[in-house]
Amino acid sequence: MDDKEAIEKCRTGDTEAFRHLVQHYQSEAIGHASAILGNREDAMDAVQEAFIDAFQSLDQFDLNRSFYPWFYVILRNRCYKLAQVRRRGELSSSDDMEILAAGPGVRPEESMLLERCLLELPVQDRELITLRHLDGLSYQELSERLAVPQGTIMSRLYHARRKLRDKLARHSFTGFARLTYEQN
Amino acid sequence: MSKIDCETICMSAMARADGYVSEVSAEQIDAHLADCETCLKDLAELRTTINLLEAHQRQQSTEDIWGRIAPSLPDALTTRTRTKAWYPFLALSIVLITHRLIGLIPDGDPGVLFKLAPVLFVIAVFIYLRENPFKINVALRLEGE
Repeated sequence: MDDKEAIEKCRTGDTEAFRHLVQHYQSEAIGHASAILGNREDAMDAVQEAFIDAFQSLDQFDLNRSFYPWFYVILRNRCYKLAQVRRRGELSSSDDMEILAAGPGVRPEESMLLERCLLELPVQDRELITLRHLDGLSYQELSERLAVPQGTIMSRLYHARRKLRDKLARHSFTGFARLTYEQN
Repeated sequence: MSKIDCETICMSAMARADGYVSEVSAEQIDAHLADCETCLKDLAELRTTINLLEAHQRQQSTEDIWGRIAPSLPDALTTRTRTKAWYPFLALSIVLITHRLIGLIPDGDPGVLFKLAPVLFVIAVFIYLRENPFKINVALRLEGE
């Protein structure tokens, strides 16, 4: 069953058809919600609520479009609402990596540092940076997903990256020291 | 060079590397970078930051949340149906108001069919909604009963 078929069935009240959509997109959704909220537990709550909201609003979905970008708007609203309620300014106390999974050749301490710096960023910056660099979305896709012009994406992304760079530097990220050494 | 120029150049250079063409041309960027060590250092650090980010993926979740969602769907379905239920009544209101306005036009006898139109339309709405307006709901109980 493809998404379109599942959505058409859901519209007639077939709740079982919705399982297809949930199971197909839940992993991606939890990843995105974790990046916004900074912890997996809240992310699971937001994703759950977002899927229920989506089920209620399926009549408004345009079948010519892809499901996930439409769903992402609902998920994002849920995440931002939850972030406001929880007001989690503090860092996660657990040592578990909630957002990132290190690729081959990355030192664990560098991954931990990067995750910590990401969590210190404002929510919007963290969302934008992860969508660009972990999902590889283009400026065009980011512009559509976040409903802002591409020029704004360029500017926001630049400043978000600078903030991340500054935080890494403040936590003595050795990569910059190596870079200075190589330049000299 | 002013600080604003440096920022615009760095922003445009990063955007260009991302595949987005800004208003600043490649020639302008190259000309600026040829003699601005501050921008070169800034860009090198930003690229290192990006390389570190791109050496990671999103943490994958293996959890299945269907079990948490499924019990809420029947309620969600009821809400969805209830939200749509007012459309026929809106149509009915429009028809009745229009009918009344037409009836107010003097010097005209619209005929029996016109007079019966509201009744026929109300019947049509209830048939569409599959509701029997004369049915007594025996399941209803007063509060405290």
